[in-house]
Amino acid sequence: MKKANLIVYVVMVATILLSACGGGGSAGGGKVNLVYWSMWNKTEPSAIALTEIIGKFEAANPNITIEAVWNGRENQTKVRTALGANTVIDFVDQDASQIAGGLMKEGLLLSLEDMLNSNALDEAVPFKDVFNPGTLDLYVKDAVHYLMPYDDSPVMFWYNKDIFTAAGIAAPPATWDEFLVDLQKIKDAGFVPLAIENDGGDYNMFYFQYLVERIKGKGFLYSAIEDKTGEKWNDPVFTQALTMIKELWDKGFIPPESLGYTWPAAQQTLATGKAAMELCGGWLPNELSDMAGPDFKWGGFPFPAVAGGAGNVNDLQQWLLALGVLKDTAHPQEAMAFLKFVMTNESQTRMAQALQGAVRKGVEWPAAMADGAVASTNATTVLDHADGGTAMYAEFTKNVLFFDVLPVFLNQATIADFPAKISADAKNYWASH
Amino acid sequence: MKTRKRLIVSFLLPAGLVYLAFFLVPTAWAFYYSFFDWSGFGLNMQYRGLGNYIELFRDPIFLLSLKNTLFILVVGGITVFALAFLLTVLVNSGIKGKKFFRAMVFLPNVIATIALTTLWAFIYNPSFGLLNSFFRVIGWDAGAKFTFTSYDHIFYAMLVALIWIEVGFFLVLLMAGMDKIPAEYYEAAKIEGANQWQMFTGITVPLLWDVISVGTVLYTIFALKVFEFPYAFSQITPPTTLYTVGMYLYIEGFGKRDPIYRLGYATAIGVVLLLCVVVIVLLLRRLMRREVIQY
Repeated sequence: MKKANLIVYVVMVATILLSACGGGGSAGGGKVNLVYWSMWNKTEPSAIALTEIIGKFEAANPNITIEAVWNGRENQTKVRTALGANTVIDFVDQDASQIAGGLMKEGLLLSLEDMLNSNALDEAVPFKDVFNPGTLDLYVKDAVHYLMPYDDSPVMFWYNKDIFTAAGIAAPPATWDEFLVDLQKIKDAGFVPLAIENDGGDYNMFYFQYLVERIKGKGFLYSAIEDKTGEKWNDPVFTQALTMIKELWDKGFIPPESLGYTWPAAQQTLATGKAAMELCGGWLPNELSDMAGPDFKWGGFPFPAVAGGAGNVNDLQQWLLALGVLKDTAHPQEAMAFLKFVMTNESQTRMAQALQGAVRKGVEWPAAMADGAVASTNATTVLDHADGGTAMYAEFTKNVLFFDVLPVFLNQATIADFPAKISADAKNYWASH
Repeated sequence: MKTRKRLIVSFLLPAGLVYLAFFLVPTAWAFYYSFFDWSGFGLNMQYRGLGNYIELFRDPIFLLSLKNTLFILVVGGITVFALAFLLTVLVNSGIKGKKFFRAMVFLPNVIATIALTTLWAFIYNPSFGLLNSFFRVIGWDAGAKFTFTSYDHIFYAMLVALIWIEVGFFLVLLMAGMDKIPAEYYEAAKIEGANQWQMFTGITVPLLWDVISVGTVLYTIFALKVFEFPYAFSQITPPTTLYTVGMYLYIEGFGKRDPIYRLGYATAIGVVLLLCVVVIVLLLRRLMRREVIQY
C-alpha cells in the first residue's frame, strides 16, 4: 500500500514538473507556436477579423502557428500577472498609450527598428512608410520604436449628417466661432447639439485637451503636467479653455440632463436622432452601429481651431491600438513577420471591414468612418491622449488633471478656484513622487 | 486522549495548511510589498520605507475614498439594519405570503452585479428613467429635473441601490433568528399590556443580540471591502466621487485601462483596509459583548 502511494506521489510530482515546462515555444517538428495575448473579446468583429488574418498567415507560413488568447480590455494587466508567473507570451496588443505607459516604459518590449527599416511584405517600399502620417512616431522611447499601430481611431466630432442638413449647416465648422454658430442653429432646429456623459471622463477631457492645444499648441499641457512646482497651471490658457467649455453649458448646447447621463446614455441620444454630435474616438460609429442602423448618415469633423491660437484644425488626436513584441520571446523573427502581415493591404482592409480605422495609407475605411480617414490623412500633427500625459504620467493625469478638471467641466467647481487647486494638487503630487 | 488529539490535528492540518499558504503567507508578503515602490512588472522594487503610508494620508483621492467607505459603513449600515428590522417585523406580523415577500426582498442578492447596475441605470436615467418619469407624471418639476447620477449625487444614488441589495441578506438573517424566539414570550408580554415597541426592545432585540452582533460584523467587513457594485455602477470611467477604498486600490494597482501600475502603493491601501477591518471588528465585538441569554 505504501509503495503504491509512493508511486502515485512520484507520478503526480513528475506531472506537475513536466506541465510547468510546457506552454508556448516550439510546437514540434520544427514548427513555431507564437502566443498572442489580445485586448479583444473573442466575439467582437475585430477579434473575428484578426482570427481570419491569423488563419491566412498560418496558411502562408505553414511552420508557424499562432495561439490567440482573447483577454478583453484589461489585457495588459493580465499580461503583467502572467509574466510574473513566467508564462510564455510572444506578442500583445492594447491601446498604444497604455502599452507605452506599461510594457514599453518598463523596458519589456523588443525594438522594432530593424523590421521598420526593412521592406514591407512583398513590396519594394520601406515598411515604416506604409503608416498614416505621424502614427508610427507617436510612441517612441529614446528614439526607438517598440510599438506598431494597427488600428486608428481619430478623436473628432462624430455627427448625424441629417441633423446638420435639417439645421441648415452646409459644411462642418473649422473654427470655434463657426462651431458656436452651428451649435445655435442645431439648438434652434430642436435638436440637442452635444452629447455628454457625466462619467465619460476621457471623452469630456478631450474638450479640455483640444482647447489647450488649439490655443497653445502641442506640448504645452504636457509641460504643465511635468512642472513639479505646479506654477504652470496658473497660465491663463487653462481658465480660458474651461470658460469656453462653460459657454457650451450656459448657452444650452449641452442639456442639463447630461449631468445625470452615465455611459452610454448620452451617446444613445446620438444614435436615436435626438443629439447631433459627440466628441469621441473613431470607435463611436462602430459602437452605435446596431442602435443607429444602416441608414444613419455618419459624418466627422476635426476639433475646430481657435482664432489666434498656435494649434491647427488639422492637429489630430489619434487613439491608436498597437502591437508589441515581448523582449523575451524566443521567436522574434516569426512574431515580426506576423506584425508585417497585419499591415498588408489585405489585412488592413479586413480590419476596416470590422468597422475599424486603418493605419495603413490608402486603405478604404468603413463608410461610417470615411471622414476619419480624411482627417487622418490630412493630419499635420498627431496628438496623444492628454498630450502624452496618459502614457508617461498616467497617475498624475488621472489623479490630478482629471480629478481637478472634470468637476469644473461638469459645473461642480468654479473656474476661479481651478488654478490654485490644481497648482496645489500638482505640487503635492510631485512632492511624493 | 493522545489519539483524540492526533485525530483533531490530522483533521485540522490540511485546512490549516491551505489557510496558511493562501491567506496568512500572502498577507505577510503584502505587509512587505507595501514598503516598496513596485509596478508589478518584474521584480524591480524600490524600498520606500513608510513612504507609501505617508503618501496615502496626503492623497486627496484616498481620503475621499476612505470617507465614502466610512459613509457606507455608518450611514449605510444604520439604514440597512433599520430597514431589515422594519421589514422583518412586517413580514413576521402574520401577513399572507411571508416566504414570497422574503424571497422578493432577497432577490437582488442572487442577481449578477452588472445586471443590477444596468437596472439602476434605467431607474436613474434623467430622460426616460423610472424616477424622473414618475416625478414628471405627478407634476413635480424639481424632481423631474433632478439628476440622480450627477457628479455630486452619484455616490448617494449608488448607496441607495446598495442598501436595497443588502437589506435582503440581513432580512433573512434576522428572520432566521426571530423564528427561533418562542411565540409565548410575545403572548405573555401582550397579556401584560406591552405595546409593539416594548416587545421589540424588551424581547426581540435582547434575544436577537447574537444575530445582530454577527450581522454587524458581516456588514462591517462587507462595507469596508465594497468594490464591485460601485465599480460597475458607472461603467466607463467611475467619477472619483464614487470611489471606495476597494475601488481606489484596484485602480492604483491594476490601472483599469490607464497604465497606472503602483502595486506597492495599492498594497499599502490593502494593508490599511485590513487594519481598519481588524480594528473596527474587534471594537464592535467588544462593544456588542453581552451576557448570553438562554431560551
